[in-house]
Amino acid sequence: MSTSDGWLAAALVPLLALGPVLWRIAHGPAKDRLVGQNLVSLLAGLALLLAAQGFGRPSYTDVALVVSVLGPTGTLIYARFLDVLPDSRLVKWTALIGVPATVLPLCVATGPGRAMAKLLLVGALLIAGSVVTSARGGDGGTTA
Amino acid sequence: MTDVLIVVALLLVAGAATAAVLNRDPVRQALVLSFLGLALALLFTFLQAPDVALSQLAVGSAVTPLMILLTVRKVRRRSGNDHGADEPAGRER
Repeated sequence: MSTSDGWLAAALVPLLALGPVLWRIAHGPAKDRLVGQNLVSLLAGLALLLAAQGFGRPSYTDVALVVSVLGPTGTLIYARFLDVLPDSRLVKWTALIGVPATVLPLCVATGPGRAMAKLLLVGALLIAGSVVTSARGGDGGTTA
Repeated sequence: MTDVLIVVALLLVAGAATAAVLNRDPVRQALVLSFLGLALALLFTFLQAPDVALSQLAVGSAVTPLMILLTVRKVRRRSGNDHGADEPAGRER
């Protein structure tokens, strides 16, 4: 019982981080909105993964899988409409540090099997989506 | 512990909805609405309803903001650039 409470408490961390991101989306300049949208899908995916482990229902990771697919796609669509795709170090390093720090303990907790393969897939999708949408290598340029 | 998660998700939903109402720029409202859809999906998952969360994700975080953006683009293109106060750095396409 206490371990599941621990997972849920860990899910609280990305959830609380969504608060300042909401502030940036609602009040920040145009560049920050897209960075915020990118960051929100990443943090929501992590919170959903941790909550699935906390509730003891591995099938809840399906929601995280959908988030990891829809999030970067949505960011790219917004970038197409708003004509800007800012490269943000915040999103990149949150993905590169936060996703392994979340997925690896989850893999250890679930053990080998199909659930672990799904967890690794979600983690890889989250990292790939964030890296593609945040690190263009340029200096904050706009897309055509 | 579940109650704490539900309360935090509820606060996020309330904050996002208030921000969507208070914003005047439709493009920014679309992004806040996308945040609202994700927060609602989180809330539904914490309330043990992942199926509702899945449909909420598809509708709330993807389709609705996309339709708003498409509408804004079409309206702007049709009416030309005679009201440019909506978006200061707006580019016409």
